[in-house]
Amino acid sequence: MMSSYFFWQKSHSRITSKQNLIILLLFLLMVFSIFLGFLIGSFDSSIIDFIQGKSSDLENNVLTQIRFPRVILAGLVGASLGVSGASLQGLFRNPLADPGLIGVSAGAALGASVVIVLGSNVIPEFLFGSFLLPLSAITGSTFVISLLYIFTKGFGYKGITYMLLIGIAVNAIASVGIGILTYISTDSELRGLTFWTMGSFGGVTWPLLIPALLIILFSMIWIIPASRQLDLIQLGEPEAYRLGVDIKKLKYRVIFSSAAAVGASVSLSGMIGFVGLVVPHLVRLIGGVSHNYLLPGSALMGASLMINADLLSRIMIQPAELPVGLITTAIGSPFFLWLIFRIKKV
Amino acid sequence: MSIRSKSISVSFDNKKILEDINLELEEGEILSIIGPNGAGKSTFLNILSGDIKPDNGSVLYDEKILDSIGIEERSFTRSVMSQSQVLVFDFLVKEIIEMGWIDRGISSYAKYFKTAMTDIIRECDIEPLLNQTFNTLSGGEQRRIHFARTLLQLWRPSDSNDPRYLLLDEPTANLDLSYEVKLLNIIKNKAELGYGVLLIIHDINLAAKFSNKIALFHEGSLFAFGAPEEVLKSEILSEVYRIPIEVDNDSLTIKYY
Amino acid sequence: MIIIYFVKKINRISAMRSKFILFFCGSLFAFNVFSQSCELAKDSSRIAVAGGSLTEIIFLLEAQERIVAADITSNYPEEANSLPSIGYVRALSTEGILSLEPTLIIGEDDMGPPSVLEQLSKTGVEIKVIPEEHSSQGIVDKILCIAALLGETNSAKNILNNEITPKIYELEKISEDIKSKNINIMFILGMQSGSPLVAGKNTSADGFINMIGGKNIMTNFTGWKPVGAEAIINGSPDYILISKRGLKSFGDINELYNHPSLMFTPAAENENIIVMDGMAMLGFSSRTILSATEIGQRLQIDSDE
Repeated sequence: MMSSYFFWQKSHSRITSKQNLIILLLFLLMVFSIFLGFLIGSFDSSIIDFIQGKSSDLENNVLTQIRFPRVILAGLVGASLGVSGASLQGLFRNPLADPGLIGVSAGAALGASVVIVLGSNVIPEFLFGSFLLPLSAITGSTFVISLLYIFTKGFGYKGITYMLLIGIAVNAIASVGIGILTYISTDSELRGLTFWTMGSFGGVTWPLLIPALLIILFSMIWIIPASRQLDLIQLGEPEAYRLGVDIKKLKYRVIFSSAAAVGASVSLSGMIGFVGLVVPHLVRLIGGVSHNYLLPGSALMGASLMINADLLSRIMIQPAELPVGLITTAIGSPFFLWLIFRIKKV
Repeated sequence: MSIRSKSISVSFDNKKILEDINLELEEGEILSIIGPNGAGKSTFLNILSGDIKPDNGSVLYDEKILDSIGIEERSFTRSVMSQSQVLVFDFLVKEIIEMGWIDRGISSYAKYFKTAMTDIIRECDIEPLLNQTFNTLSGGEQRRIHFARTLLQLWRPSDSNDPRYLLLDEPTANLDLSYEVKLLNIIKNKAELGYGVLLIIHDINLAAKFSNKIALFHEGSLFAFGAPEEVLKSEILSEVYRIPIEVDNDSLTIKYY
Repeated sequence: MIIIYFVKKINRISAMRSKFILFFCGSLFAFNVFSQSCELAKDSSRIAVAGGSLTEIIFLLEAQERIVAADITSNYPEEANSLPSIGYVRALSTEGILSLEPTLIIGEDDMGPPSVLEQLSKTGVEIKVIPEEHSSQGIVDKILCIAALLGETNSAKNILNNEITPKIYELEKISEDIKSKNINIMFILGMQSGSPLVAGKNTSADGFINMIGGKNIMTNFTGWKPVGAEAIINGSPDYILISKRGLKSFGDINELYNHPSLMFTPAAENENIIVMDGMAMLGFSSRTILSATEIGQRLQIDSDE
């Protein structure tokens, strides 16, 4: 117990003042993005009226029941993908770790789909209530991360290839699985293959959001204090051990917190790619690699990015909507290529 | 106070690496381990640090069995320097050194951090490297940084009596002569401060000059152990290294060609 | 007509090479194979039908014994279900069709894939594409076209005069009335990428709404697109039409009414979401007239209250 207290302690939060400033700016960016997200939408409304309490019932409903939960979900999903990407990159010591690329999101999507199609007959509704969906997704994502860990254990930097290969395999299996499930289950709210593969924040309501919100917040609160340990493990597992890190505990912590965050996100919004890859690298580029700056920074930047991507998806081709995964992939894949070239040089 | 190995034996893949090693590293002394490659020196160091568990025998830290000491507690007591792995992300030199700092509870040690850093940086002469990216450093410079980190881990305010042990595996490999000597002098200072230092080293002459005790490993066994003049004998060395080695008994210098 | 047909086909094929080949072949075959004229077919004794509305009309003309196979959208009338199946209209199989030895293949412009149609045409089987227009007149033309193909023009004229035309007349009266009432309607086919898939301009559903006399709220885009919740609420549909299949993609009727993209619409609040068989509404056979009439009457009753 002393040991967990010890490491949980703000140990020397070796954030530099420059990094502190960046975190502050990212926080402001997120607040601004949320504000922008609340302000703009297809529905004609006046925020000013809303704030003054003068808006109609319909306006109130649209804003509070449809727009606000959607913006909040986008922020949560962006934050959780950002933090999970950063912590997975840290644990695997692999700059290409991204929940989408390595198959974690696909595992979550498949887990959710299986339960949606088969589960409602097997698992009584009252047992988990609205937690059933995120939990089933989390089961899928946990399974994939554990698989990854077993297969790449100890390879560290050399494990990049294996990781991506497993990611390719899992993504393929999940696609087929979800495809088959959507095909056979016209009787269910499976939402279709395009929802799962391209992602969307539409259709979220507060009751659906609450379980995911709790899970995501909890997982972020759980992982961020492990920042220092994630720093130490960059020296290699033996060295981190010698510096007092319980490697096994750290592995479980990273694996379960990212599985939880990614699982909850995917269960509500489908697979949205590249955010977990791009955001941590951007945050590193602007301020450095230390994890107690990187993790909160990735959460804030991920949230801002996602809220704005959702905003674009809502207004770019009004009244139609662009799947948000299309936007993140369009921006993320060139970045991914650039990253590969950069790594090749090392 | 000491780190003691009691009848340590270990095998990997049915190959015997170490057989019945009994050794003690005492506070305030420098113990050098020498011997040919494959003699089991690094494995032994890893067992002492707790990285590897021996098949038989036990490691005792100040007469307490290592197994009963928690992972964090071990990091208060001993620090290790061996081969380092490639850093995937671009940490700054400063950040790498800082990784050695173990906060031991709320505020009791946190306030010393700045002082400790200044001390170590001055002692290891690494001021000019601080703000560079670690990956841009040469191999030798990187080793010096890891060494500084190892020292930071065991830093205490000057009035401390805590037992501390440095376990170093070839710390001077790849270092320029001047830095090699500097590092060994730092080690000597630490020993005088009360640190127990275990040093695996290739250069027998340096071992002779800097150590209080020498342990000679040969094919997994402790071939000889004691003060340098006891261990560095011509017959002993020639047998272990399989070439004729002459020892000058006065200056304890080794000659072989 | 032929050129339009080809342009549509080409837009659906992505590879440049196939486009070239197809265009070339297409222009060769244009007048031989994919003819859209409604002349008497050479031999209409064994017909393979790709399109539910076409099957319906053949039954209407009482020529159903000539049908040897039909696609999976051909499920009305009931007897059509027991016909051998040639699969999905956009994904036909050459061998499957040929195994039934048809003398005539008829379908609408969504028949495909083009490679299969080419293979079929090479075997000498006649392929006829029935033009479709999404209006009452279009339905009449379709019936006449098929009748001409089958040599049943007299029979068709009788049916039209006695059954169809009076119904169209009745529908037109209702739709004039509805038009004057400015009723907003939206048609949902199902879900896509998490949002309702809604009919824009130039869709069969757009035509259907016009037949009823309502106003399609989504005319600022063409084709079927997933539309965001706020845009739907902004459009303020008084009535929402949805196919039975579309309903399934929401879950059940409760989930439909409580879906965030619909629940704040006037349609949801007044329980004016109408669920009906998709083909009955969008097939553009005689059933479509009946469906439009049924819905129109409901709208009239509601607005008179």
